[in-house]
Amino acid sequence: MEAEVKDQLVSIEKPELIAPPNWEPVIMGILCNWCSYAGSDLTGTSRIQYPPNIRIIRVPCSSRVDPWFLIKSLQTTADGVLVSGCHPGDCHYISGNYFARRRFLVTKKLLNFVGFHENRIQFSWVSAAEGPKFAKVVNKVTEDIKKLGPLHLYKKENFEK
Amino acid sequence: MSVETFVTDKAGLQKFYEAVMASRETYAPVEKFGKFDFKRVARVTECDPESPIAKTQSIKPLFFPRSAKVMKFVATSAGTDVSETDEDPLAVKRAILGVKHCDARSLQVLDKVYNWDYIDTDYQKRRENTVIISTRCDRADTHCFCTSLDYDVENLDALDVLIVNGSDGKIYIKARTPKGESFLKETVTGQASPVTDEIASPDLKKQYDAFAGSFRLKMDYKEVNAKLSKIFDTPEFENVSGNCVSCNTCAFVCPTCHCFKISDEKVKDTGVRYKSYDSCNNGYFTLMAGGHNPRPVKYRRWRQRAMHKFVYYKERFGENLCVGCGKCTIACPVNISIFEVVNQVSAAGVQE
Amino acid sequence: MNYTKEIQDIAAKLFAEGKIDVFVGYRVNGFDDNQVPVLITDPQDVSKLVFTDKSVFNLVNYLKNDHTRRKRVGLVVKGCDSRSLNLMLTESQVKRENLYVVGICCEGVVDEAGQKMQNCTDCMVPDAVVSDELLGTPSGSDTLSGSYKMNADIAMLAEKPLTERAAYFEEVFENCIRCNACRHSCPLCYCAKCCIDQETATLYNGANTTSGAFHALMTWSLHLAGRCVDCRNCEKACPSHLPLHLLHKQNESVIYENFQEHLAGVVTGDRGAFYKYSLKDPDDFIM
Repeated sequence: MEAEVKDQLVSIEKPELIAPPNWEPVIMGILCNWCSYAGSDLTGTSRIQYPPNIRIIRVPCSSRVDPWFLIKSLQTTADGVLVSGCHPGDCHYISGNYFARRRFLVTKKLLNFVGFHENRIQFSWVSAAEGPKFAKVVNKVTEDIKKLGPLHLYKKENFEK
Repeated sequence: MSVETFVTDKAGLQKFYEAVMASRETYAPVEKFGKFDFKRVARVTECDPESPIAKTQSIKPLFFPRSAKVMKFVATSAGTDVSETDEDPLAVKRAILGVKHCDARSLQVLDKVYNWDYIDTDYQKRRENTVIISTRCDRADTHCFCTSLDYDVENLDALDVLIVNGSDGKIYIKARTPKGESFLKETVTGQASPVTDEIASPDLKKQYDAFAGSFRLKMDYKEVNAKLSKIFDTPEFENVSGNCVSCNTCAFVCPTCHCFKISDEKVKDTGVRYKSYDSCNNGYFTLMAGGHNPRPVKYRRWRQRAMHKFVYYKERFGENLCVGCGKCTIACPVNISIFEVVNQVSAAGVQE
Repeated sequence: MNYTKEIQDIAAKLFAEGKIDVFVGYRVNGFDDNQVPVLITDPQDVSKLVFTDKSVFNLVNYLKNDHTRRKRVGLVVKGCDSRSLNLMLTESQVKRENLYVVGICCEGVVDEAGQKMQNCTDCMVPDAVVSDELLGTPSGSDTLSGSYKMNADIAMLAEKPLTERAAYFEEVFENCIRCNACRHSCPLCYCAKCCIDQETATLYNGANTTSGAFHALMTWSLHLAGRCVDCRNCEKACPSHLPLHLLHKQNESVIYENFQEHLAGVVTGDRGAFYKYSLKDPDDFIM
């Protein structure tokens, strides 16, 4: 894993773009309103620390997440994306997360296929009662993406052909 | 106008290309996925100046880029700051290798519209600073019909430098314009010896005749043009456009199509305004803000395309917009040939 | 594979009975032995129709076209084409009663160089699944749970390290000229206004940049995931000869292998893998 990450940094992402000192990743967190958002709330109210790198967007359900959201986040600010919803069977809308699960797998595999490291696109199921789990998930995602370094593939800021 | 001719051999030609690449930014056909596109090259081995005409994209993007930056903008609390874009990367002194005759002609045609009511300074600068180096076509492709149109392919002077493979095994490097001449003088040093123009000429004539004889498509341009200009309302346009899938790729590969759209691309508060290609075959090309669309159906859009190429531009600028390269037919998924379209429509005649 | 005579007879009969207004088929293109689609409205022209292994283009694309709108259409479909027709019927884009479908039991078509097309060597559904009349001998292959053949290009790329794959696809997106011919030639891209070129789009507006091409092609392929029937109309239309099938085949293989789904458009009324779910779907990639 270590070697692969290094390899990716040096050859795709140009050497001068390797993480500057004190670089902190930006992670787009897309959370479902009913479970994961409440779960993250619980993490806060229980005073459990988690990295501030995550920027949270609340959506009604994980099946609201169009794969386009992930592409858009990765092309603009984010270095990685975390999408989180209710556990299977717990969806507020009965089956939303089952539909979402299929889309997530296809999107993740496709983005990985065209050159994004699989750790840049992550998913989790976090219920409203799982405050500590949410902190753990955010910790792990942040750590993974810190190892990968800043994302430079197909970034929009470059405005270049 | 005196023109300089140099004579050399195969190895000398490679050296000449290297000298060109050393002296200027050089663009040449580079193969990607079986298709040649003009890209910046630094070594002769990277490119193929004699790429097959059917697989080569036009040189239009080097003068009218697929997306050109128009301006930059930043939104601030006080308002929007608009600034000039960075320096144009295409405006430097450069040379293009492996240009086809039809491509060179397309620049002559485009010059008219870019020098019309608004003088496009970006285009002018790119044009002035570019030396076009071409190898003479020796055989027409399936869809070529440049000799049937209103320009003299044999004496085309839009090429600055022409490379001719002589039948005696020698290679002639000929300057066709003063710009090409001065370019040759500064670039050809040692690899070739100057000769008088007459040596190459008879050979050139013979080669051209063989080339002109290899065309599959031939038409009487004057007749087609005269007939077309009278038949706007013919149902034949509906028949010929029947199997068009409106994919627009004909306009994107055409060396003379010059319609564009303006779009803003932004991230957060900053952005760039782009000028990119558009196509009149697009359903919403003529869609107006109120919802009215003067060309709502496919045959009207096709009529516009064919008539603009063969009638309107000729009326306004005295040149035919289509240069007969056949690129649209090759790129078209259903091989609609503009040659067939104009011939079929003009043959159908006026509906009473 | 030559059904020229049968198709000419069928078209002539349909015109004579007044069942159709337009017949969509193939004709020879007039300069070599390849074929192009033809829309026939005059019964006199049926002799132009041909069908051999050079009949490549997916004609279902013409059902979203001015010339066929609100008309009764006769149509020739091969196996893959019939799947896209099935999806268009399911998605209420065409009315079945307006169509007369001539299905072909396809033995594979060849490209311009005379090579058998890659999608034909991998084909699982050679027989037309929607038809009023079926020509040829059905292959009898199991369309619902036959053995899926992994696309050779996908298998080859999947084995490569991430960096090489990224470099390869960067080249693909860099060579895209954003003409959108892939979208227009796709029978299943029938939206009146595509999401990737809206005037007020907040992210991309159609400028030709590598990141813009990435955005457009990824969005496009994800909208076709679980619907793409691998007819390769997009590749035929691409002026840069980009290997667009890679994106679609990748999605198709993930869907086929992970969700135990049949291929898109095989069953009438089935909207594709993203419109249903199973409790047994893989969950191990989710934390």
